[in-house]
Amino acid sequence: MWRQVRLATAVMLVLMAFVVRVGLTTFDSAGGAKGMTAFMDLLRNPAMNALYGRATSLATAGAFVVWRMGMYLALGAALWAGLAATRLTRSAEDDGTWDLLVIGVTGRRPALKTAIIVVAEGGVGAGAVTFLGLMSGSQSVTGSTLFGAALAGVAWFGGAIGLLCAQLFAPRRSCSQIALVSVGLMFLLRMLADGSLANGWLRWLTPFGWLENVDSFGHRSWAWTLPLLIVPALAIAAALWIQGRRDIGGALWVHPDRSRAHVMLLASPWRFAWRERRSSLVAWAVGLAAIGVVVGYLTDALVSFSRSNPAYARLLNQWGYGSMITVKGFVAEVCVMMALAFSFLVVTLLTMVSADNLQGRLEVPFATGTGRVKWLSANLAATSLGLLVVALASAVAMWAGAEFSGSSVALSVTLKGMLNSVSVAPLIVGVAATFVVWLPRFAFTAMAALLSLCYVISMLGPILHWPTWLLDVSPFHFLHLVPSEAPNWGATTMFFLIGAALTTVASIGFARGDLGR
Amino acid sequence: MTQGVGGGISFLLVTLHAIEARALTKSFGGALAVDSLDLIVESGEVVGFLGPNGAGKTTTLRLLLGLLRPSAGEATILGHPCGSSFARQHVGYVAGDVALWPQLTGRETLSLLASLHGSNDDAYRDQLIERFELDPDKRIRAYSKGNRQKVAIIAALATRADVLLLDEPTSGLDPLMERAFREAVVETQQRGQAVLLSSHMLSEVEQLCARVAMIREGRLVKVADVSELRARVDLEFEVIGEVDDLSDVPGVTSVEPLDDGVRVRVSGPPGPLLEALSRQPVRSLRTREASLEEIFLSYYDQTTSPDS
Repeated sequence: MWRQVRLATAVMLVLMAFVVRVGLTTFDSAGGAKGMTAFMDLLRNPAMNALYGRATSLATAGAFVVWRMGMYLALGAALWAGLAATRLTRSAEDDGTWDLLVIGVTGRRPALKTAIIVVAEGGVGAGAVTFLGLMSGSQSVTGSTLFGAALAGVAWFGGAIGLLCAQLFAPRRSCSQIALVSVGLMFLLRMLADGSLANGWLRWLTPFGWLENVDSFGHRSWAWTLPLLIVPALAIAAALWIQGRRDIGGALWVHPDRSRAHVMLLASPWRFAWRERRSSLVAWAVGLAAIGVVVGYLTDALVSFSRSNPAYARLLNQWGYGSMITVKGFVAEVCVMMALAFSFLVVTLLTMVSADNLQGRLEVPFATGTGRVKWLSANLAATSLGLLVVALASAVAMWAGAEFSGSSVALSVTLKGMLNSVSVAPLIVGVAATFVVWLPRFAFTAMAALLSLCYVISMLGPILHWPTWLLDVSPFHFLHLVPSEAPNWGATTMFFLIGAALTTVASIGFARGDLGR
Repeated sequence: MTQGVGGGISFLLVTLHAIEARALTKSFGGALAVDSLDLIVESGEVVGFLGPNGAGKTTTLRLLLGLLRPSAGEATILGHPCGSSFARQHVGYVAGDVALWPQLTGRETLSLLASLHGSNDDAYRDQLIERFELDPDKRIRAYSKGNRQKVAIIAALATRADVLLLDEPTSGLDPLMERAFREAVVETQQRGQAVLLSSHMLSEVEQLCARVAMIREGRLVKVADVSELRARVDLEFEVIGEVDDLSDVPGVTSVEPLDDGVRVRVSGPPGPLLEALSRQPVRSLRTREASLEEIFLSYYDQTTSPDS
């Protein structure tokens, strides 16, 4: 089973090691423990806590890495585990390969157990990579072990959610979406918990809260690793129990097998492209709107804190977040972060073409009627417009969140910010289309790795004074902080031109090449 | 433009073949999958396409569908290059391993494929749904393989396309549905549609096709009428009675003793054998035509191949 997830796992582990290394270097370049004492103010800010989590100390590089990157490392590991789990189980059941395992010598329960072991090993791998990364910076063995173990626990949690969803929902697309949204909601709960003192109890409900409570380089609470072990174990036990009692190939909740025909969205490739993306768009719109509401809700807290604290404003400046002391600046920063999510949305929507192609579903349409270019164009258009709809929904949600908290952020501010982060989309569409046409099997993994790498470069490069050529590799680096700054029209034009050129080349390749499984 | 059963479509005195492949070649990374294949199928003709697994049947069909691009040579549908917009609109296709969107129902799938193809005979589609006893309100993922196959067959037939390319179309169908399929194919032939039928069901090919094309290792070994092929296969006679040794009679390839006579195999015209038997005390003489299976085996069994 490892074979099916080895590439994604390798990419995840390399990225994690890289991020930890970068964190350690950042700590040193910021003046080490001495330099950090001034930064302790950051830890008192509720919005900073919401973004990165709380910490009791930044005295060591380990503590710094855990605070600044730990939550996102854990989120990445949990999302990987959730996806890997559904891929190994639900996907194999959907396409019938599971049947061979279940009726063969492997059997029903051992097949699931193997998947559990693979996901668990992946979690251990993620923990081990962070542990080794921290140790390579000569950090405390206890702290590194504790954080590595807790991070593995969060990954197990994500994997256990995926395994449980695979028993509950089918087909795979619904199943993985529910698993990912569940992990995302857990992260949002932690953000809400850390964003205001009144909601602190929410921290008890989420594995990201438990990870925070472990406080591996501060108070060191081994007790909080227990729920990270017990809850995934219970979820896995439930998955095994359900699997023993249900039909292979089925799930507890599936769409009914019979349905009245709804033909409105079947009348053309363009309409069908929407129909295929409908459920994904709803899931992403809900997920990103939820993030928008939470961030909008926290906007006022952060901005007023920064304003009342000039020392803190200076710190933000030093960290490259100087614009965050104004409402517009804060919204702009958050929107630039959303650009990564939007890019992933583009990749998710566009790789549906390669999935259909690899499954052989496009043979009849392409052989008898619809041209390949028409099909690809319809899918590109639906992807682009779908992204725009989700971005608008996120903007409205952020505005609504701010209104809800009693503060006021103009809708035009969030709209401009979100549209700015959409400006990288043409480039992402072009690159993704190229992968979809020439490397369909690896399109998603390759794009995910590229995007993550580019994002890390754009986030950390400027602070660490990386060379300009390296920063220029990342499209995110070119995003201005709109609306507090003017949009980068030059880059926007370039993104569009390069994207259009790549898309054209990909379309020609798609039209001319062999089509096959 | 005129169209007649058994001939091409004539347009300005130029005859357009329904399917025409000239020196069609496809290689995958140096390995030849289809090698200089020449094939013509006329309108109103059902041609069987036979060959062992991996001989290149599906690759040929995918080249004719425009899904694969030829490495050399060319192929046309009604005079237009395969894969062109015209060709696509005049082709119907059934794959042996049908892949459809699992979340759609049968009716939705038929509606989608019809709208993508552009032309569809809705009344005929509804008639086919009844004849194939398909429950169209089930989702594709809830269908058995046979039912998915029915959806693909109905979708292809309902387009009333001039050219039908069928790749193992009846795999997974029960015998009743196989019969319904054969009846539908006979109707398409009567309407003047051309059909290229790749199949391992030799009885099906035998019933539907007057002509077969045989492919081996990417090369076309034979295109001929089934009757002509039969003539090339040894005839088998069961001679009941006490007869003399027949092994010296011209054309006789083998003589096997039976309880009450002999079994004699003859290659070529049986005249000399019949003449020899006329002088012998024969009580009864039985013979039968070679089945397509025997013809097939004679072509593909290397040791007994007529070409080898």
